[in-house]
Amino acid sequence: MFFEVELQRDVKINATNLDKPVSRRFILACLLDNLFKEKASEDHGYFLAVTRLKSIGKGNVMDESGNTVFTVVFTCRTFKPFPGEELQGVVRYISQHGVLLKCGPVSNAFLSAWKMSKYQYIPGKKPAFLNNELSKIEKGVVVCFLVLAVRWINASRDFEMLASVDADSLGPVSLPGSDELEL
Amino acid sequence: MSGEEEENAAELKIGEEFLKAKCLMNCEVALILEHKYEQLQQMSDDPMNQVSQVFEKSLQYVKRFSRYKNPDAVRQVREYQLAEFELCVLGNLCPETVEEAIAMVPSIKTKGRAHDDDAIERMLNDLSLIKKFE
Repeated sequence: MFFEVELQRDVKINATNLDKPVSRRFILACLLDNLFKEKASEDHGYFLAVTRLKSIGKGNVMDESGNTVFTVVFTCRTFKPFPGEELQGVVRYISQHGVLLKCGPVSNAFLSAWKMSKYQYIPGKKPAFLNNELSKIEKGVVVCFLVLAVRWINASRDFEMLASVDADSLGPVSLPGSDELEL
Repeated sequence: MSGEEEENAAELKIGEEFLKAKCLMNCEVALILEHKYEQLQQMSDDPMNQVSQVFEKSLQYVKRFSRYKNPDAVRQVREYQLAEFELCVLGNLCPETVEEAIAMVPSIKTKGRAHDDDAIERMLNDLSLIKKFE
């Protein structure tokens, strides 16, 4: 789900940049750069766009070198998946063990074959999962799935999900459009 | 797995912070991300080089999975008496029947909530009309 959340971050300005008055613009540029590098947090999800600046605190000198910290409070749009949520994703890889879906900024939502109990694996050049009603899950197909669990990977600062389609109204859906960005 | 073992969106257990936060439908996110992308297009010959992978993947996702194109239509959808999270799930997935809606958002039928099947069906019909005539 996408959210707009209030966040607080400490922006550190090196003393070498303090020979002239520090502008709000410079602090914000540092904040945006830091958020870009941070990419996501376990608590709030992936950072998409800062929407509003609420406050910039007075600078606190950290140490003898004169490095200063400004506390910035702002609102930000984020994406964070939750267990129990229904989402839509696109199939990007299929094996006999299951399917990998991509869903927004999350590249790995694993839909195990065990959680597609009504579907059979069909191997071949274009492997797929097929059920008795000829509903097909293959590469590029949009799947509506239930998030069973979410895991935060600190090393890559990503979320991974475990998915299921073993419930009503879940499974492949036909939606127009492709996954490519129309420029 | 996530440290919050009791998190369960099906029961609206998403933590105090996210219950208070504003939830956004894919179409609302698409508006702001597209606007930002257009600004980058005006500033640079190659805007895709200016954005992160997170931004690019999110923009692809919300453009593809937006159900409402008109910002005014989106505002009408928000007038229903549901939790923000529930409203956004319904706005994103557009269930056609009451059974589908309850399957997607089980929390709308929890004990003590005022939404009976007729109320849910009226809401789904209205949402469908908004989508048709936006």
